[in-house]
Amino acid sequence: MTSQIVQSVLAEAEKRKAKKVTEVHLVIGKLTFLGLEQVRFAYEVLTKGTILEGSRLIIEEQEGTVKCNHCGYEGGFKYEDDPMYHVPVPTLKCPQCGSVVNIVAGKECTIKSIKMMV
Amino acid sequence: MIASKRKEVVKAEEGEIYDVELSEDLLKANQRLAEENKRFLQRNGVRAIDVMGAIGSGKTSLIEKLVKLLKTKYRIAVFKGDLTTTIDAELIARHGVETVAINTGKECHLDANLVGKALQKLDLGNIDLLFIENVGNLICPAEFPLGSDKRVVVVSVTEGPYMVVKHPFIFMEADVVAINKKDLAKAMSVDVKKLEKDVKTINPKTMVVATNCRTGEGVDDVAEALGL
Repeated sequence: MTSQIVQSVLAEAEKRKAKKVTEVHLVIGKLTFLGLEQVRFAYEVLTKGTILEGSRLIIEEQEGTVKCNHCGYEGGFKYEDDPMYHVPVPTLKCPQCGSVVNIVAGKECTIKSIKMMV
Repeated sequence: MIASKRKEVVKAEEGEIYDVELSEDLLKANQRLAEENKRFLQRNGVRAIDVMGAIGSGKTSLIEKLVKLLKTKYRIAVFKGDLTTTIDAELIARHGVETVAINTGKECHLDANLVGKALQKLDLGNIDLLFIENVGNLICPAEFPLGSDKRVVVVSVTEGPYMVVKHPFIFMEADVVAINKKDLAKAMSVDVKKLEKDVKTINPKTMVVATNCRTGEGVDDVAEALGL
């Protein structure tokens, strides 16, 4: 995933004939299983020897968001506390009306913006 | 906050810093390919079922039994995803259905790109039903739709009582869940009904069936739940 990120940034930088990339702003959804530490580490490794080397990586986490087509609720998941294991479990139930909701955010890995020097 | 609303400068002085707004979702690329796969399958009248589940949960066994049950009703093909080897693919091929092994190498899940490539290997005119067995994994496949009509998750009692609550997001993707190895529930002190309740708490829309894929018990209920 991180190598895809680096490739995408390099492609964009090449398009604009940039000499150096100084900052990359990512939005990573909390429902993806991308480990932020791992992404940072891989980014450092993968950018060595490229024009991204030394660039600042900003990672913004996107909360999982659901939307209810029945009552219009849009917001966080409804969590239910499991009585046996005492574990809060996320559910696809609308916190407002109980209907089944759709996940509308939290699954993305987006390059929001790039700062580069030409 | 970064001036992300700032308009892009068309001409820049040397050394000037460009702030380029991209909004490129890298995971969307897989989604787009998945949608392409889905359209391709639908145009050719093929129903595709994605079978996911942990390692050793019984995915291959379920597919084998479903193939046995349905091969006179549908012309079936199977994609078998695995890191390497064609062991499972050969097991399924013994039932006389066209089987394509998709070796992912190091990737722990199938993606729409690999499935798209495998679709090129089939003569879809001769197929009505395609089972796609994903790599054994309860985490990553949830993020990578393949373009199938229905997604099945197989979870077995031998994985213990917490497997469902530990992996809620894959169950949010499931249309049907098979709780397999039900004959071993007592030995494992696992309550099948509790596992079923856990699934339905996470995703009220999911249909849950208890199965024993060694004997085939419950497999016809899975087929029914899939509309087959």
